Amino acid sequence: MPSDGNVPTGREPVRGDATDTGAGDEILKVCRLVKVYRGAATPAVDGIDFAVRRGEIFGLLGPNGAGKTTVISIICTLLRPTSGSVTLCSQDTSLRPARLRSLFGLAPQEIALYPSLTARENLHYFGSLYGLSGRVLRRRIEECLALVGLSDRGGTRIDTFSGGMKRRANLAAAILHSPRVLFLDEPTVGIDAQSRNLILENLKTLRDDGATIVYTTHYMEEAENLCERVAIMDRGKIVAEGSPRSLVAAMDGCANLEESFLRLTGRHLRD
Amino acid sequence: MTTLLATIRKELLELRRDRAGILVLLVMPMALVLIVSLVQDNVMQATGETPIRVLLVDLDNGFLGRAVEKHLRLDGGLELIRKQGDREISEEAARKAVVDGDFRFCILIAPGTGAALREQVRRRAVESFVPTSKPAKPAAPATVPGLILHFDPAVQGAFRTAVVNSLQRVLLGIELREKGAALSDTIERKMRQGTVRFELDTEPVLTLREAPDSGGRSPRRPTAAQQNVPAWALFGMFFIVVPVSGALIRERQSGTFRRLMTMPISLAGLLAGKVIAYVLVCTAQFVLMVAIGLFALPLLGTSGLVVGPEWPVVGIIALSAALAATGYGIMVGVLARSYEQASVFGAVSIVIAAALGGVMIPVYVMPRSMQAVSVVSPLAWGLNAFQDVFVREGTLRTVGPDLARLTLFSLAALSVAWWSLRRSRSGE
Repeated sequence: MPSDGNVPTGREPVRGDATDTGAGDEILKVCRLVKVYRGAATPAVDGIDFAVRRGEIFGLLGPNGAGKTTVISIICTLLRPTSGSVTLCSQDTSLRPARLRSLFGLAPQEIALYPSLTARENLHYFGSLYGLSGRVLRRRIEECLALVGLSDRGGTRIDTFSGGMKRRANLAAAILHSPRVLFLDEPTVGIDAQSRNLILENLKTLRDDGATIVYTTHYMEEAENLCERVAIMDRGKIVAEGSPRSLVAAMDGCANLEESFLRLTGRHLRD
Repeated sequence: MTTLLATIRKELLELRRDRAGILVLLVMPMALVLIVSLVQDNVMQATGETPIRVLLVDLDNGFLGRAVEKHLRLDGGLELIRKQGDREISEEAARKAVVDGDFRFCILIAPGTGAALREQVRRRAVESFVPTSKPAKPAAPATVPGLILHFDPAVQGAFRTAVVNSLQRVLLGIELREKGAALSDTIERKMRQGTVRFELDTEPVLTLREAPDSGGRSPRRPTAAQQNVPAWALFGMFFIVVPVSGALIRERQSGTFRRLMTMPISLAGLLAGKVIAYVLVCTAQFVLMVAIGLFALPLLGTSGLVVGPEWPVVGIIALSAALAATGYGIMVGVLARSYEQASVFGAVSIVIAAALGGVMIPVYVMPRSMQAVSVVSPLAWGLNAFQDVFVREGTLRTVGPDLARLTLFSLAALSVAWWSLRRSRSGE
């Protein structure tokens, strides 16, 4: 670990203060995780370790192609790792993935909803698949719609929604079953400030209600304000981990997380 | 069970709002059944199912024209038109009408043909009695002007042959009758002193008739509806591959499938829900097609569909075909990488399978090599089973092999889809 807080030159990631290691009441633990896609020359995820505590908002940051979505996909049992392990709610995700799937919710980067159905119909379908039914399902649908500010638009088709409304509905579908861990892949990309603000407020509310949130974003300011801890990924590795404040403090001349991020990952364009 | 019911409900809801999908699934096959049945009904008219209109220009104005007309009318295959308004049609006008395509052909009886025929026949009858001491002379070539047929150039070979054969038969009958009469007169003259009378019966002794029973079953006469309703209903049912595969591709592209794969649901339940929803749609399609065959086609003046007593068997065939169509659609949707790939490959493969399966042209008129290939088409299995019931009065036992093929096909397609999805879910 570089002692002067400048850009790391070795393999060790930049770490924030000692209290930011993630140790303690861990709900998610990722150990030496590696993923090499078939035919790829380099690993998409290259031996990363991190842990997420119960009830925190953990940000997984990184430029395009850093491996964030691959990590989320492995944790959500969508991909099988080449090596390493993921423990979610004290269970190894590779052993009985089906059992774990009701414990977490995923809001993918895409608007993963049926465009020709209304918001309420979408939530009804996904809620049914989570095993909710009858009055409980109807109550949860209304609660989730209210949380994302779509109560009065529940009967409107998704394909008539604005980008922000779609993002909010996408989030509502992920929290219907009150998951213990919520994975959000770029939940605020391409939407206006009002919708983004509402979503971030909602995430804080969910965290206050006991949910653990792991989310990826390109918006450093958003991560700095929202996350208790972040991990910055680049080329499949974690290059920095800790609270946003400690990471900024650990790097001389950086005024905010965005500057730290650029120092760590470089200014050259990524495809 | 919840996954199953929720998926059925969701799929039907999505489909109800997909106007293009409904157009492909319901309106297109309905239009095809109606149009093709009406068109084929006309083709059947042109090939002898019902009389077709023919011009007769009788410049001979004698017994021959009357005899030709009488026999053709008795035959029932042709409706003879002799007049244009109140006047007899002229040779020139008749030729023009045929060239213009107003009539498919015209029969022209040249002047003096009847008289020349009688003269030739009498002479030959007399010359038939040759003294035993003299050697037989070869018959002189006929100099009768005869009949001339003018065909519309667009008339196809099989139709020409059928018309020529039909007329040849009539002429042969007339000639035979004339020969019999001439021979009778000649013999009578030769036997004038005797007490016996010679009379030749010219009625045919050998006759050809269609057997009313074939293989222990009583076949119905195939009509345009018997062929087209099941054929185009199957085509429409298999066209479900376009909306089914499209829906699956959209699910994958929109990330919805990614979300579904992180949910505590079984792949089998998810697939079963989709299969049941689309099988219901296919069944509705089939019921609609049968209703058109039973009620709409007769209203439009063509023969309607006759199902016979084996309604339950028809239902089982329809369900098997629906299952095969849906299974194939799901397999294409899972294996294709883009909507374009799925829709183009899906649609083209169905058109090819339909052509091979006898939907457009009956399998028995195909070249032998294509007939051999047609046995791999699921549409051929379905169509064969339907026609077995509709035309040959088949039973569940007789259509059993085709039902087994359809069921195995759907199971194979669904297994491929399930295996592929399972691999992608486990991240392999």
